[in-house]
Amino acid sequence: MGDTKPQGVQVLLFSVIRERAGVDATTLYLDPGEAVSAGVLLERLATTYPSIRPMLPLVRIAVNQEYVPKKHMVQAGDEVALITPVSGG
Amino acid sequence: MTGISNDSAWINIQETPLSLEEVLEFLRVEEAGGIDIFLGTTRRWTEAEEKTTGEETDRRETILLEYECYKPMALKEMHRLVEESLARWPVRRACLLHRIGEVPLREISVIAGVAAPHRADAFAACRYLIDTLKIRVPIWKKEHFVDGNARWVEGDSAPEPLSSPDTM
Repeated sequence: MGDTKPQGVQVLLFSVIRERAGVDATTLYLDPGEAVSAGVLLERLATTYPSIRPMLPLVRIAVNQEYVPKKHMVQAGDEVALITPVSGG
Repeated sequence: MTGISNDSAWINIQETPLSLEEVLEFLRVEEAGGIDIFLGTTRRWTEAEEKTTGEETDRRETILLEYECYKPMALKEMHRLVEESLARWPVRRACLLHRIGEVPLREISVIAGVAAPHRADAFAACRYLIDTLKIRVPIWKKEHFVDGNARWVEGDSAPEPLSSPDTM
């Protein structure tokens, strides 16, 4: 109640997208009570880091370590990861 | 044994070399009549995507592979894959281990192992483990070439979320 501090979403970047952005993690702030779709969150991230924009069509999103559709709503306190096509093995 | 393990499953991500002996020890159980183990290793030569006319230029020479992962999620997805293999086939034990960091030529980057009463199930479950790891588990490979260049390998992956489609 009455908490008007910006609320952070932790965003994790890996491999090619981490190198393009130059950071492996960043925080995006939402207004109190605000929830945005994962897709909108990606757009905001690409505004800050334009070099990652060409990769976005390939990116899958994980929220709290589970893959989610881009319409999934993200809230403060969530951990969001950008997963470019994986290549383990 | 490190990582996540119980009576039938073993999952791990480690920076140190993977031990085939430990995997065999885990998989050799009395209920198993067939054990299938897949090893992924660092290959020296890779065919270039765009073939050129010269004999020398259509393949590239790798010096080492470097792996990066989103560890908590990768472990979770690997654990899920192993549990799926145990549920889908009459498999007694299954393991999935991945090395990260630098993996030199000829060394093992991944081990998928399955013990089942009969070989057909062991082959099928083992293939499922490695094939699905390659599209679902958040691990990435960077190829470092002899000529000093390096590139992230863009793997295969479906555009839509793959895990737990039943809950979407």
